[in-house]
Amino acid sequence: MNLFKSELRRILRRRLTLIFGIVMVVGVFAVATVYGFSSSTGPSEDDLAQAQAQADEMNAEFDECVADEEFFDSPEWEWAQEDPSFEGMSQEDRCDMFIGSYDYTAEDFLWTYTFVFAEESLLVLVGIAIVAGLVLMLLSSSAIGAEWSSGGMSNLLVWHPNRMRVWGVKLGAACVVCGAAVLALLALAFGLLYLVAATRGEIGTLDSVWWGDALETLGRTVVLTVGMTVLGASLAMLGRHTAIAGGVIAGYLVVGDMLVGIAGMALKMPFPDRLSLYTWVMAWIEGRMELYDQTSESIDSMPDVMVITATDAGLLLGGIILGFALLATWAFQRRDVT
Amino acid sequence: MPPIIEISGLRKTYSRAFRQPHHALDGLDLEVAAGQVHGFLGPNGSGKTTTLRALLGLIRVDGGTMKVFGEEVPHRLPQVVSRIGAVVESPQFFKHFSGRLTLQLLAESAGVSKSRVEEVLEQVGLIEAAKASVKGYSLGMRQRLAVAQALLKQPQLLILDEPANGLDPAGIHHMRELLQWLAHSQGVTVVVSSHLLSEVQQLCDSMTIVSRGRRIVDGKVADIIAGHSSASLSVRFPDAASLPEAVEALTGAESGLTAVVDRGRLVVAGAPEPAWVTKTLADAGIYLSELRTETKNLESVFLELTGTAPVPGRTVQIGQSVEVPPPAAQGGVAVDVEVEEGVQR
Repeated sequence: MNLFKSELRRILRRRLTLIFGIVMVVGVFAVATVYGFSSSTGPSEDDLAQAQAQADEMNAEFDECVADEEFFDSPEWEWAQEDPSFEGMSQEDRCDMFIGSYDYTAEDFLWTYTFVFAEESLLVLVGIAIVAGLVLMLLSSSAIGAEWSSGGMSNLLVWHPNRMRVWGVKLGAACVVCGAAVLALLALAFGLLYLVAATRGEIGTLDSVWWGDALETLGRTVVLTVGMTVLGASLAMLGRHTAIAGGVIAGYLVVGDMLVGIAGMALKMPFPDRLSLYTWVMAWIEGRMELYDQTSESIDSMPDVMVITATDAGLLLGGIILGFALLATWAFQRRDVT
Repeated sequence: MPPIIEISGLRKTYSRAFRQPHHALDGLDLEVAAGQVHGFLGPNGSGKTTTLRALLGLIRVDGGTMKVFGEEVPHRLPQVVSRIGAVVESPQFFKHFSGRLTLQLLAESAGVSKSRVEEVLEQVGLIEAAKASVKGYSLGMRQRLAVAQALLKQPQLLILDEPANGLDPAGIHHMRELLQWLAHSQGVTVVVSSHLLSEVQQLCDSMTIVSRGRRIVDGKVADIIAGHSSASLSVRFPDAASLPEAVEALTGAESGLTAVVDRGRLVVAGAPEPAWVTKTLADAGIYLSELRTETKNLESVFLELTGTAPVPGRTVQIGQSVEVPPPAAQGGVAVDVEVEEGVQR
């Protein structure tokens, strides 16, 4: 327990933890601010008056155009006269085409967006959790990688020679910190978005179905972020350096998935999307995903469908994470600390 | 009292792609008695740090046995680790943490009280700099922090790899006094690996010298130096032309005596006593201007034993030290050594 507490403290006292923490909190506030500024429950009287004035101006110009046969003769409309269809059109059609339809209303010049919490917050919260998961994956890999590069691991093992205990404690502490950080961020984001909806949008209907769906989706997302933490720490333990873990993660995200996609298309295999890790991640978060095999579609038949459930995705993603964790465990147990 | 550290036949081989495997430890033996400051010496690449790492469970060995406090390590290391304080190789720490936080985290992880952190900071002279982050520490300050870390557990066995590295003269003096106080007043067994031979000579009670992963010699420091001092005499004459005559006079008077001309002087070994040399030369009509007994220090013994004495115009390469015969061929504590090609002894 002492070792676990000191590991928690070690992670929390790191400068990178502080920086990432500030960045994530600021990010959540920024998202809430953007929604706050862009959302409104309706136009103000000033906005309405301004829009009405714009509509009136456009309608007056249209009326003037229809009434004046020489409206398009001025040099400023030269470009319209060069249009091949200009000559054969009636004056009203010309006005309709180059000035716009008659009968504008104020609504045509009003743009209002209303943030509805019940409809949109879940997507935003999942997005925040995924981004946080990526950041925390880097943090966990850095927590392990920095121990290796700074010589801290060697020092620690001189005090605690049981390597499995050290690895278990480090992994546990990283998961606790990352899990707690994601939950705290989600709570903050939930509160801020709710506040935005209450003041500048609509809450919508938050019934038991909504809560059930939201908790299920967010629960799976939090589990995914913890899994990402384990993956980041395992890669750093295998490579004994943060940069190696970061390189592997970035390499897959940027190049690896693209290569897998190209390979799937080159092989002309059905459901090539199933080769992409993103597909399985989305299936895990959403709980179910359907892939369509367009090559099997014909006039008489619908395309074949492949269904990926949360269980399928969980088994695959869990297997990958477990595989890397076991590999890291084996390497840590066997390899010399030099 | 049984030895605190017993190592027997320790082997460690590093496989290398497309190259011969490297035997870092080739049947190394080591014994360290309780309550002593024991020096662990050897040329670069002779296996000192590898031995210490193996002892602390940081690397796996391919053969041999190791015991600390009578317990087999690394299997029983968790049972005895609380009694061992160690610094292996250059002290490295997380650079953004302060010295105090670095020690506090380690102390917390092992249930050591916070007050002990302050004690060791005071002991190594870092109390004033404890709040500063380690990145601002000099090498000597980091060394002090590393020793503080090793002392934190109030160990009964202290293993220090190059503890004087980076320390200023006052720091070296302080470290020497601290380690001797720990060993002789507190009963702590101290194992020090070092290249500062004059420091080892002043600090250590006993020592082991290794070369190419094997022990060359061990015993009390004074005994080893005495055992390898051939009590040679340096003789100078007013006229260098007397040298050949002097050689003839001395070698003719005593069988088994060697007299070699070296840089304008005569080096005589195997003479019964200095007075005999004076008399023999005087009887031959040769009068000397200087006669001096040449005593060896640890450095010259070390260079002789390890075969790493510098040769004019040639650099001794890493690993180019003496090769010790396998343990089966060894007899006695001090063992004969073969000289690696190209290295003068």
